[in-house]
Amino acid sequence: MKEIQDPVKMQKEIIKKTYLISLFPIISSLIAGSFDVFLGFIFGLIISTLLLRIKYNNIRRALDMNMEKAEKFIRNRYFIEYALYFIVLFTSARNTRINFLAAAVGLFMMKFTVVLWSVIDLFKDTFQSKIDEYK
Amino acid sequence: MVEFSPQVAETIIRAAALLGAGFAMIAGIGPGVGQGYAAGKAVESVARDPEARGNIITTMLLGQAVAESTGIYSLVIAIVLIFTI
Repeated sequence: MKEIQDPVKMQKEIIKKTYLISLFPIISSLIAGSFDVFLGFIFGLIISTLLLRIKYNNIRRALDMNMEKAEKFIRNRYFIEYALYFIVLFTSARNTRINFLAAAVGLFMMKFTVVLWSVIDLFKDTFQSKIDEYK
Repeated sequence: MVEFSPQVAETIIRAAALLGAGFAMIAGIGPGVGQGYAAGKAVESVARDPEARGNIITTMLLGQAVAESTGIYSLVIAIVLIFTI
């Protein structure tokens, strides 16, 4: 992960990996026949992808501001994103056709992927250093 | 020992759940403050080393994406408390 310096490339890589990991719950929910879980997961996943894109644009805009303004801008944008998360979860909780927990997991999927990817990188580095030490 | 009728007990439970949901929402403030602080520091870093802009954006994007999860956890808990109890 740390080899990728370009933010756009990183973003694409995160989205690609997230969708790849998400194939497993999507296919299993379809096989199990629970369409509400499938819908909830897709709903959460799409919203989290769009919010990642918004976040990238916000960060880019914030870096052109001065320090206090950037701080305020990112804080305000976070609360707007938080409201969007609330709307998504509220909708999935109210709508019987969308599974609430699946939507929540769909929202978290991108974060899980980033953490998982970091952990894998950490293990890779540790093993590589051990191998180098052994040589 | 004081005994409550089922209606009163249900009302108390409902009130406690709503109060808990309100308290859970406090956790949503922290990530916002943290992200704002990180953004300020990122601006400072870019001013110091403009060539590292891409790297800073990448790190910030990952950091903010992960930092947000605690806020969403609290939101999920709050909504569960509101709608299931």
